[in-house]
Amino acid sequence: MGSELLEQIINGLVQGGIYALIAVGYTMVYGIIQLINFAHGEIFMLGAYFALILVTFLSLPFWLAIPISMILCAGIGMLMDVIAYRPLRNAPRLSALITAIGLSIGMQNLARMIWTARQRTFPRESLPSIFLGENALLLPGGASLPYRDVVIILLAVLLMVGLNLLVHFTKTGKAMRACAQDKVASNLMGIKTNQVIVVTFAIGSALGAIAGIMVGLREVIEPTMGYYKGVAAFAAAVLGGIGSITGAILGGVLIGLAETLGAGYISSGYRIAIAYIIMIIVILIRPSGIIGKSTASRA
Amino acid sequence: MLKRIMQEKLTPKNTALFLIILLFPLLTFGLDAIAKILFSKYAIPLPVSGGALLRIAVLVWLSILLSIGLNIVCGFTGLLDLGYVGFYLVGGYTAGLLMTRLGLSYWFVLPLATLNGALWGLLRGAPTLRLTGDYFAIVTFGFAELLFRVVKNEEWLLPEGRVNGQINDVPPPTLFGIELYQMWHHYYHILILVGLVTFVTYRLLHSRVGRAWVAIREDEQAAESMGINVSRYKSLAFAVSAAIGALAGAFFAPFQVSFDAGAFEFWQSILILCMVVLGGMGSIKGAIIGGAVLGSLGEVLRSILPYFLADARYLIFGIILVLLMRFRPGGLIYKKT
Repeated sequence: MGSELLEQIINGLVQGGIYALIAVGYTMVYGIIQLINFAHGEIFMLGAYFALILVTFLSLPFWLAIPISMILCAGIGMLMDVIAYRPLRNAPRLSALITAIGLSIGMQNLARMIWTARQRTFPRESLPSIFLGENALLLPGGASLPYRDVVIILLAVLLMVGLNLLVHFTKTGKAMRACAQDKVASNLMGIKTNQVIVVTFAIGSALGAIAGIMVGLREVIEPTMGYYKGVAAFAAAVLGGIGSITGAILGGVLIGLAETLGAGYISSGYRIAIAYIIMIIVILIRPSGIIGKSTASRA
Repeated sequence: MLKRIMQEKLTPKNTALFLIILLFPLLTFGLDAIAKILFSKYAIPLPVSGGALLRIAVLVWLSILLSIGLNIVCGFTGLLDLGYVGFYLVGGYTAGLLMTRLGLSYWFVLPLATLNGALWGLLRGAPTLRLTGDYFAIVTFGFAELLFRVVKNEEWLLPEGRVNGQINDVPPPTLFGIELYQMWHHYYHILILVGLVTFVTYRLLHSRVGRAWVAIREDEQAAESMGINVSRYKSLAFAVSAAIGALAGAFFAPFQVSFDAGAFEFWQSILILCMVVLGGMGSIKGAIIGGAVLGSLGEVLRSILPYFLADARYLIFGIILVLLMRFRPGGLIYKKT
C-alpha cells in the first residue's frame, strides 16, 4: 500500500512536470496578448510526432531529435502568430479565440490525416537504454522509479530554471515583462512588441515540443494527445494564476498529482475530468489563481 | 412575422425555395424513380440514392436547429459558448433513457427534455453570470466535457450490459397510432420544430427581451445603468438557448435509434459554433444559412469522401474558421449596426 502510494506520487510529480512545461506556453502567451492559445496543445502533439519521424525515418539519434523537434515547433509557433494572430491584434478578442480554435481543430485533423489515429510509441531500438521503462531504480518499500522519470523531472526543472533566468535576467526577458504589463507603453519605450510576442510564441512552443516528447516516452503518441493534455495543462495555468510562470509550475504539479491520485483511488474513467473540475472551481471561486494578482474584472 | 412574410417575401424566387423545402421528400422520391429507370437500364450503381439525400436533409435541418439555438447565447448576448453540445447531450439522453427505460411517450418526453435542457442552462448559467470572454468560454467547455464523461462512465444509467453511453432501439414517436419511423416523417417533424423555434426566436429577438440581449452584448455596464436586469436577461438567454439544444437532442434520439456518447463530442460544439460564425453572429437568417451551408457541406463530404479522408472535414472547418475571422469577421450575412 505504502509503495503504491509512493509510486502514484512520483507518477503525479512527473506528470506535473510535463504539465508545467506545457502550461508555461499558455501562460506566457496569455500574459502578453490575453489570448488562450488553444492551438498550443497541437504544437505539443506535433513536437512528439516530429521527434518520432526524426528517429524512425531519418534514423537520427534520439538526443539530436529533441532539439530539432523543438526548433521545428518553435518555427511553427512563430508562423502561427505571424500568419493567424498578428492580423487580429486589434480585432475583438472573440475573433482571436475563434481563430485559435480553428487552428487547433485544423492541425489536429491534419495530423490525423497524415499519421492516422493509430497510437504510436518510440521504437525501442531508437531509444537510449536509460529511457526504457524497465530500467528502474528500486526504492525502499518496493516502489520502483524508472530512470526515465528521473531524467524527465531533472530536465523539466532545468528548463524551468533556465526560463526563469531568461525572463528575469536578460534583455528579452525584461522586454517580455514590460509587454505583459503594458503593451502600448512598452511600444512607446522603443520595444518592438511584435518581435517580443513572436519570441514568446517560440519559447512556449519549444517547451511544448519537449513536453510532447516526454509524453511520447511515457505514454503513447496520438493526434488527440494535444487536446487532452493541452486542456489539463491549461487547467494548470489557470490554477496557478494565468500570466504567472511560477504559478504555471505550481499548478502543473498540483494538477498532475490530483490526476494520478484521483485516477488511482477514485475512478480512472474520470482521469481527465479531474483537471476540468479543478479548473472550473478555480475560475468560479478565485479566477486569479493561487499566485496571480487579483483583478477587478473577471475578464 | 407571418404578415411580413406575406407582404414582402412572396417573390417567385422565395416561393420556389419555399416549395422545394416543403416538397423535398417528394423530390427525392422522384429522383429515386428517375435514377432507377436511367441507371438500372445500364446497370450503373446509383451515386446517391434519394433516401440518403433525404437523410442528409434531415441532418441539415438538425444543424440549423442547433445553430439557431447557439446563436442566442453567442450572437445575441455576445458570450462565447464552447459547450453547446452539452445541452444537445442532455436532450438526447433525457429522451433516449426515458423512452427506452421507462417506455414513456415521445410527445411527453419532448417537452420534458426541453425543460430539462433549460434547467441545465440555468444551472450552468447561475455561477457563470459574472464571467466574460475567455473564462466563460472555458467554463462552458469544461461543463460539456464533464457531462460527456458522466454519460460515458456512469453505466448504471444505461440498460444492462451497455457501456460507453450506448442506447439502443429508441422507439419511434407514434401519432394517431402511426409509427413515425420513415425518413419523410422525420423530415416534416424536424421542419415543424425548426419553424416553431425560428418563430419563437424571432419574436423574442424583436421584443423587449431581444433588445435587452443586444444591449447587454453591446455594453453590459451601459445596459445595466439603463435599468436592464443583466443577470435576469442573461439567465433567460442561457435557458432558451439550452432548451433549443435539448429539443434538438430529443429529436435526435428516436431519429438516430441507436447512439452512444461519441455523438456528443467536443468537436460538435465547434461545428455548431462554426455555423453561427459563418452566418454572422447575431442574425437568425445568418444562423439558418450557416447551418444549412456547413450542415450540408459536412454531410455531403462525409458521404463522398472515402473513409480515410473523413477527417478532412474538420480540417476544412478549421480553415474556414481561421479565414473567416481574418477576412470576414462579421460572417457571410454581414449585419450593419
